[in-house]
Amino acid sequence: MAQLPSQSIPTLTPESPPRLEVRSVSKRFGGLQALKDVNIIHERGILGLIGPNGAGKTTLFNIISGFLKPTEGQVIFNGQAIHTRRPHQIVEMGIARTFQIVKPFADMTVRENVISGLGMPIYPRWLALVQRYRTPATLQASEAILRLTDLTVWAEARAESLPIGLQRRLEIARALATGPRLLLLDEPAAGLTAAEAEDLAQLIRTLNAQGISIIVIEHNMTFAMGLCHRIVVLAQGEIIAQGPPEQVRHDERVINAYLGQEDDNA
Amino acid sequence: MSWMQNLSNAMVLAAIYILMASGLTMVYGVLKVLHIAHAAVYTVGAFAGVLIYTWVGNFWLALFLAMVISGLLGIVIYRGTYFYMLDSPRTVPLIASIGLYVMITDLLQKDFLMGPYQRAFPAQGAGLPRIETRFFTLTPKQVLILLVAVALMALLYVVLTKTRIGLGWRGAAQDREMAASVGVNLNRVISLNFFLGSALAGAAGVLVGVYNNSVFATMGDVVSYKAFIIIVLGGMGSLPGAVLASIILAVAENFLVATVGYVLPRDAIAFLVLIVFLMYRPHGLLGKE
Repeated sequence: MAQLPSQSIPTLTPESPPRLEVRSVSKRFGGLQALKDVNIIHERGILGLIGPNGAGKTTLFNIISGFLKPTEGQVIFNGQAIHTRRPHQIVEMGIARTFQIVKPFADMTVRENVISGLGMPIYPRWLALVQRYRTPATLQASEAILRLTDLTVWAEARAESLPIGLQRRLEIARALATGPRLLLLDEPAAGLTAAEAEDLAQLIRTLNAQGISIIVIEHNMTFAMGLCHRIVVLAQGEIIAQGPPEQVRHDERVINAYLGQEDDNA
Repeated sequence: MSWMQNLSNAMVLAAIYILMASGLTMVYGVLKVLHIAHAAVYTVGAFAGVLIYTWVGNFWLALFLAMVISGLLGIVIYRGTYFYMLDSPRTVPLIASIGLYVMITDLLQKDFLMGPYQRAFPAQGAGLPRIETRFFTLTPKQVLILLVAVALMALLYVVLTKTRIGLGWRGAAQDREMAASVGVNLNRVISLNFFLGSALAGAAGVLVGVYNNSVFATMGDVVSYKAFIIIVLGGMGSLPGAVLASIILAVAENFLVATVGYVLPRDAIAFLVLIVFLMYRPHGLLGKE
């Protein structure tokens, strides 16, 4: 599989893994306690965030990526507090994300979607905003990302014309274009066939091997257990278990809170 | 009057509509706000244009500076009001926008600004020639309007389709949250959007001021609802739709005024076109459900 070009993703250095610290984060929406005293430290590898619906997983992603502010607590990335920053500033610091409901820029081509994410490393300032977006540098960088995510043949197709599996890949491609050191994936395997999910898992492993730390929210337990090095389980806004997949799988609280439900439903 | 003459007159009117409505469409596209105060920016542009023209006597400099002033006013309006209402229900910025329009228009009527009078804008056609053909005649003022409108729309087209900021606008117009998540600085992008859209409104104000040789504080009243007819007709937020709707409205007005104009005034015709059209295409020409 292709490597990301170092000139487009200048921050990829496996030697110095990014460090995310979620410190005592709580979030309340009126009377609803969405998160309660959540503490997570993530450096390298693939971290799975699982839990039943309403557990607070996406809320945590929204806080890490700057779309929500925590009611209490801090989020520190590479030693800098990021919970007070705006989403684009957090992207500039090296955290990119995808969303549960896949939303590519429908009216743009696949390549334009990817180039839209290249803004930060290639055009940093005001005047650069009126420069052309199709330059040799952006085309080269987008080509490498499209190759990596297996979207090259779709490069000039309109994003809305892609099937859901490819749209999910496109979201990842667009996030990669921002040059992340930490990638937050919100249910990336939702709606995918088993074969597509396996391809996606392979892509995520490749990205991780190239030095990008990954946190993935996933409902598909087989997918999460097979992919992640460590799992954090949230239930009703609290962490009830964390550790390697095998350990979490047999944790009684997890079985009661989450896995048990699945078994009951099966 | 020949139909060709009618058509050329309609194109001049369409050029003004396009300048006015494209700015409004750009703002709606990114913010989903019905920016009523856009009409006040148009008036301020005309006022700035006539003042600068009176001082320096150079139309092109007056037009340029009026556009810059209008653009800056657009940024002030965004950062001073809508910026704080991005997550509010859409009625909130709408009400703020109506308030801003009334406030700026009233302010302009004060004696230390425009006062309750009309000012002449005797720039004529800025030295441009009269064009006469077998089929139609364009006065220098009409040539000026067409020339400026075509140049500005070409510039806007290039900015929207070729540049980094254009890509940012297209992204933000589709989904602000998604645009922010790929590193688009929304405030910067929206501020520039307001600047350019407002500069176009300012240019429209200057051109209409020159065309009618008249600038006054309430000149935005008619324009405001005409521009809204156009963006609804074109499909909310669709720039190609706004251009198409401007042409259709201008042609309909000109030809219907020439035929049934003695029955219905021009502005009533504009609304009639809107109502009949929306009965068949409720999402406008190029709008999406």
